[in-house]
Amino acid sequence: MTKRIPLIAREQKRMYTIFIAVALVLFIATSFYTNFNIMTLAQNSDAFWAFITKDFFPPALPKASRIPGVLSSVVVTLALAMSSTTIAAVLAFFVSLFASEKISPFPKLAKYVRGFATFLRNIPALVWAFILFSSLGIGTGVGFVALLITSFAFMVRAFVETIEDVSQDCVESLQAVGAGFWQRVWQAILPSCLNGFLSWFLYCIEVNIRASTIVGMVGGGGVGLTLFSYIKGFQYDIAFSIILLIAAMVIVVDRITGKLRKEILK
Amino acid sequence: MDKILKFENVSKHYPNGVHALKNVSFEVNEGEFVSIIGPSGSGKSTILRSINKLIPISDGNITLDGLLVSQQKGKELRKLRRKVGMIFQNYNLVYSLSVLQNVLHGRLGYMDGLKGIFGLYSEEDKKEAINLLNELGMEQFCYNRASDLSGGQKQRVGIARAIMQNPKLLLCDEPIASLDPSSAKTIMDLLRDMTRKRNIACIVNLHQLDVAIKYSTRIIGLSKGEVVFDGPPEKLTDDVIERIYNTSRENLMIGGAGNDKKDSADCA
Repeated sequence: MTKRIPLIAREQKRMYTIFIAVALVLFIATSFYTNFNIMTLAQNSDAFWAFITKDFFPPALPKASRIPGVLSSVVVTLALAMSSTTIAAVLAFFVSLFASEKISPFPKLAKYVRGFATFLRNIPALVWAFILFSSLGIGTGVGFVALLITSFAFMVRAFVETIEDVSQDCVESLQAVGAGFWQRVWQAILPSCLNGFLSWFLYCIEVNIRASTIVGMVGGGGVGLTLFSYIKGFQYDIAFSIILLIAAMVIVVDRITGKLRKEILK
Repeated sequence: MDKILKFENVSKHYPNGVHALKNVSFEVNEGEFVSIIGPSGSGKSTILRSINKLIPISDGNITLDGLLVSQQKGKELRKLRRKVGMIFQNYNLVYSLSVLQNVLHGRLGYMDGLKGIFGLYSEEDKKEAINLLNELGMEQFCYNRASDLSGGQKQRVGIARAIMQNPKLLLCDEPIASLDPSSAKTIMDLLRDMTRKRNIACIVNLHQLDVAIKYSTRIIGLSKGEVVFDGPPEKLTDDVIERIYNTSRENLMIGGAGNDKKDSADCA
């Protein structure tokens, strides 16, 4: 028999083989470690299905007297996301000016400003919420701060990238005419980056709508807390309709912000 | 003729080890139109940017209008920079603002406090800006966004912004490198006429030898960070050109007399 002609380079083939082998070994090792067994899941699937079909279905409306409360909790969640993102964006704008070596009046400090923002960003909003709830008690105010911290840190990074992308040339030319730092910021950086900033801001609102629901569940108020209290009260059918409500809310906001972002970046 | 600019033994090392300028010395007098030619990486841009301290030099002295550039800081530096207009290859406008706003940016160096930050220009400045745009044939574009203009039009806005500064010296960093031949001619004609009329000295970095020869009163040739020629265009012999570009003349795209015949009336 003649030797078969390979279709891909031998090194590439070896890479794929190694990759698949490693993934397989990791799967076996980790499922052993966590006692995960696909068979248990299959055995318990009856109970799982029963839970879904009997407890969740059909979705039920809460008592009529409760409906205004539920709706206002949705508004609280939306407001929480919007207000925290707005304040975070304003703060992030000023901080990002000092986080870019190329435009900051103190380029040596830029690294540290960015490092600080990265540190804040890498702690999830949920963890911030727990930390703040333990120290300050629960309430929408604390949820607000938790969202503020993470979206602030995220936007600092996004804004720095926008600034470095867009405004290098016009900042140089304003430097050449003898413009001072704040003149450069207001006359060159802000106008040329505004659309980019707004786009990131809208994206952050999308993220924060979801995050504020979660932060609400652990004590931040809003629709997350309402959902959690129905789950704790075993009223799963009502909880299900609230989950649908949350999904609808997220989809509507996503579509609106998505549309706005497209318009802005035109 | 008054001396505007003096380079004395100027050197520049970049942190990455590049030795961009080596012992560069030359002078520029009032009203001169000087072209700096040389291959890419020979230090042309570094020379221009060291004049208004966009790039700080490592060694030597640059004297601009009687002041030592390296000693200027903060407010004094801003005052010095406003005396020097600058024109860029990529125009460097703020494209989301109107043409008029971009031209008025030339006044920022004269404005302090909130007025400068928020762009509250005086009516006088606005009138002058509109007159300048008239002179450049751009009056109908006052309120267009700078991003809507063609390349040649953008560069004319760049010229207007630089002239708005009321400069004593104009630095042009490859002003026609991104333009088509006919816009390029318009821009070079405008640069020559406007600086001559206002007695502004002009230093232009160029890649186009024929343009340099046609427009300049003096040419400076750079090679690997050193001045290898400094004299009137007539003295730019083939020998010198070969020394500047480090290759024989036949290997150079120099351009011919054909460019001169192009009509500038229909340029964009």
